[in-house]
Amino acid sequence: MSHVHGPLVEALLQGDFICAISDEENYRRLQQEDCQQAIDQYLKPLNRRLAQSQDGAVFYLAYIEFDEQARAQLSQQLQHTVQSLLPLLEWMQLVQEALGRDGALGAGEAIKLAEFVLKTEDNPSLRSRLKQLANDRFFNSQADSVDAQAKQIFKRLREHGYVRQPHTDRLYFEVTGKIDYLIELVRFIRDEENLPVSEEAMQESLI
Amino acid sequence: MTQPTLAHTHAMQSLGIERLSLLGKHSQVLMAAYLHGEIDEAQLSERALRQLVHAHIVYQPDDTRGFILRPNVSDLIASMVADENRRHVHSDVADKLETIRVCVLTLREAQRRGDVTKADLQLQRLTALVHDLAGQFGEAIDSLWHRLNSNFGFVSSLSDKIRENERAQKQITRLLDGLNLVDFDMLIELGEGNVQLRKLLVSQLQRQLSAHHSSLLEVQKRLVQLMVRFREQQARSVLIANMAGFLREHTNFVVGDYAYRHQVPDLINQAKPIRPAAAISLDSHVASALAAELLAHIPRQQSHDVLPSSQEQVQVDIDSPLVAAREQALKADVEAFMLHVIDSGQAVSALEYLTQQQLDWDPEVWLFQVLGEYQGLHSEQRRLFMLQRDEHPMHRHNQVMVIEDLRLNFHFAA
Repeated sequence: MSHVHGPLVEALLQGDFICAISDEENYRRLQQEDCQQAIDQYLKPLNRRLAQSQDGAVFYLAYIEFDEQARAQLSQQLQHTVQSLLPLLEWMQLVQEALGRDGALGAGEAIKLAEFVLKTEDNPSLRSRLKQLANDRFFNSQADSVDAQAKQIFKRLREHGYVRQPHTDRLYFEVTGKIDYLIELVRFIRDEENLPVSEEAMQESLI
Repeated sequence: MTQPTLAHTHAMQSLGIERLSLLGKHSQVLMAAYLHGEIDEAQLSERALRQLVHAHIVYQPDDTRGFILRPNVSDLIASMVADENRRHVHSDVADKLETIRVCVLTLREAQRRGDVTKADLQLQRLTALVHDLAGQFGEAIDSLWHRLNSNFGFVSSLSDKIRENERAQKQITRLLDGLNLVDFDMLIELGEGNVQLRKLLVSQLQRQLSAHHSSLLEVQKRLVQLMVRFREQQARSVLIANMAGFLREHTNFVVGDYAYRHQVPDLINQAKPIRPAAAISLDSHVASALAAELLAHIPRQQSHDVLPSSQEQVQVDIDSPLVAAREQALKADVEAFMLHVIDSGQAVSALEYLTQQQLDWDPEVWLFQVLGEYQGLHSEQRRLFMLQRDEHPMHRHNQVMVIEDLRLNFHFAA
């Protein structure tokens, strides 16, 4: 067990989200039932178990039992995530618009930082939105140049596991499954809080 | 011989030009007929219609029906206007089947009468009709595949793609409806007793149409899949935009305390990270060997990294005036020793000089300073001195040399 799944368990314990993009090999392993059982068995004394998003795209660790400490931790963590929601959603919109993508960013999509910077620099509206976004507490950049702002934003996203940088020497990023998880969370919050947030496109009166 | 041929060519040329210009002259009516199946006779004078018939551009299959384009003219138009118009295909499959039926009847009649020429002509027409029918489906299906495989790349926005996909799906429904109109029982009946007809109507047409049928079902399946993806992407974009908008408007938005619910939702149940820490257990023999190996691989600290601490020490010492004065005194004594060597004209032992002069230096410090001063001399001056080290190895197995004494000599010859 420790030899086969050691690094995987370690990554999970550290709070990593395992998806097909962030760690393809381990993601494949986690899809096997015997691996899931072995890991659950192993984590039991630590009050942890494997959990996955509704669509099964990401794996992470969840508590089995909820003591006061666990609940407090979860509550605080949720608050942090909700605070980071707006900057993350705005980042997704910004990238989609700057790169002229069809739809919203999804797991597995590639972003070349240079392209993003180039497109943003050329457009005053995108530029000011990027500046504002970079100044947000979540990204926390005081830089003046588009390049430095974008770098800081992607650095923070990488730290939080929303993007992956396959080559440390190249500014090329891949969106991970954690973004899909975030969207799931948005839907969840919307439903729980009955927010007037629709995802239906305006009915188009054509044809 | 040449005269009549020339005249003939000339006549043919003028006739050709006249008839080609008919195509241009009536292009609107002809195109309308191409799209709708029949000539709108109200749009043409009787004379014009007669001209078109004479020119073999249109014909009237029978009295009950109107004038339609000859297949070769249809083909010509189809090949000229290419794909786009071919999309609006073929609610007229029923029409075409009827034409085929009539054509078969005429053919059989001609054969019965023994009119070989007419029968041949009809067979040619029939072949063209069958080809045309299958070809129409084929082209439409090709175009569908092309649109599918290019991911509807010819339009840029997602909503345009969704619209194009919807159009394509509607077209598939129409094509499938059209295919369902083909009644193979009728075709079998028509082909009965005639090898050529059977081959044409049954084996060839049936084979082609059933291939088209399965191709259409496949492209339909794929279009539906793609549509699901488009819709998901679209829903996601809209969700992101609307949620971001909501959060911007409600800056103090707080979510419920999901963590304190009886049933904590899995989605927010994200356990606190644990960083697994471990150290080498030195009580295990294997581990200590590993530890030794690991230690050996720890990058050595560069000497300049170590130095600052010892230099700091020295710095502190030097800063104290007392120490500075002693250092100066030591330096002065070593200089005096060197002058003594010059004066004596022979090799002098540093330690002997130390005892002779009753200097109060630790022998080791003294030797170190002598060596230091010697090495600090300018190379030209240093060449005038000869330094001999009285040294021996520290141990049989340790080749570090211990300096016992230094003998310094001065010679002008150098």
